[in-house]
Amino acid sequence: MSYRDDLHRELTAVGITGRQRSRITDEIEDHLQCDPKADLGAPQLVARQFADELGTARARRAGFAGFAALALAGVLFGVAFVTAPGHAFGSIPGAVSWPGRVGNWVAVIAPQIAFAAGLLALLRALRRRTQRVIAAAETRMILRRATVGVFAGLASMIGLALLAEELRPYLPGWWVTLAWVCAGVGAVALLASTPVLLAAQRLPSLAEGSAGDLFDDVGAWLPRSLDGRPWRFALVVAGAIFVLMTVAGVLASDGPDGAVRGIADGLLCLLGFATLGRYLGLWSPLAD
Amino acid sequence: MRAESLKGHLDALILAVVGAGPCHGYAIIEELKQRSGGSLDLPEGTVYPALHRLEEGGLLRSSWSKDSGRRRRIYELTRRGQRELGVRRSEWRDFSRAVESVLA
Repeated sequence: MSYRDDLHRELTAVGITGRQRSRITDEIEDHLQCDPKADLGAPQLVARQFADELGTARARRAGFAGFAALALAGVLFGVAFVTAPGHAFGSIPGAVSWPGRVGNWVAVIAPQIAFAAGLLALLRALRRRTQRVIAAAETRMILRRATVGVFAGLASMIGLALLAEELRPYLPGWWVTLAWVCAGVGAVALLASTPVLLAAQRLPSLAEGSAGDLFDDVGAWLPRSLDGRPWRFALVVAGAIFVLMTVAGVLASDGPDGAVRGIADGLLCLLGFATLGRYLGLWSPLAD
Repeated sequence: MRAESLKGHLDALILAVVGAGPCHGYAIIEELKQRSGGSLDLPEGTVYPALHRLEEGGLLRSSWSKDSGRRRRIYELTRRGQRELGVRRSEWRDFSRAVESVLA
């Protein structure tokens, strides 16, 4: 068996297939024709090096691409939110059907999950932007964050469209059209980022090491009393959300409504932390 | 020079060589050896993964070309790669000046 054949087999074993594999073996073949005595290293090690480096680069790219798509979708969602007459989000007329109610809740909850997950993916990708190789566990975590962010973003766009459609009898036609355009363009942007996520999914790094947690991303900006204490951190964030929503309610001359929304959002934050926290690498079972 | 101590600088070295003009993998490795008077003798298998990674990162682009009947992958710097090379050069100058002033 030639070096090329061995490398071909080892590349397949680490998950590099198709055109990428052919390109690598062709390049190596060319190298060996230039210098038949070249010492390229054991095929297994070379294949693994390719997987580690490409897996790292792709996971990082997924973090950036996911956030870029989410940022655009977020701006569009924000435009629909800010221009919505009255309290279109969160409080809807009693006559609205169940798809409208589902759309309303999704349009309230999903953007928050999308923002948090996408931002966390970006933070980790930025922190590791100069590293040649990062641990397999870490590439998986960046991907999970980016994927959850993009899918929650898509859910937000669907929720926005459902809400707009259900509110058609109650809101001006121009806003319904605007909301549909924002939801459509946002969904296309998010879908456009999925090939990057899939490419990263297909080729993970194989390097050993731990994924770390939330405090590897934001620990440097936190006071010592919160560093390494995920549940205390989650409580502080939930409290901050409650205060912000209450203040927003007071400014809108509806303090009690703001406080109720603040409590609901704060509890949702804790619920999200409990259900998605481990999956997104925010906390480990041993923390706190 | 030990391969391990070169690894941290491999990207900058590759960008510098490709920055001088488009070239293929084997030529990049030979140029590295030649420019360093043989001191930078990298394990050759490590250069190709780095080239692919730099391309994934948008710092290089590549295309096939025919050279005396042989298909070769030719690499060149992207605009982003040129900017990155400038940053790496500047960082290296600062670093080497600082180390030199301590060691001298």
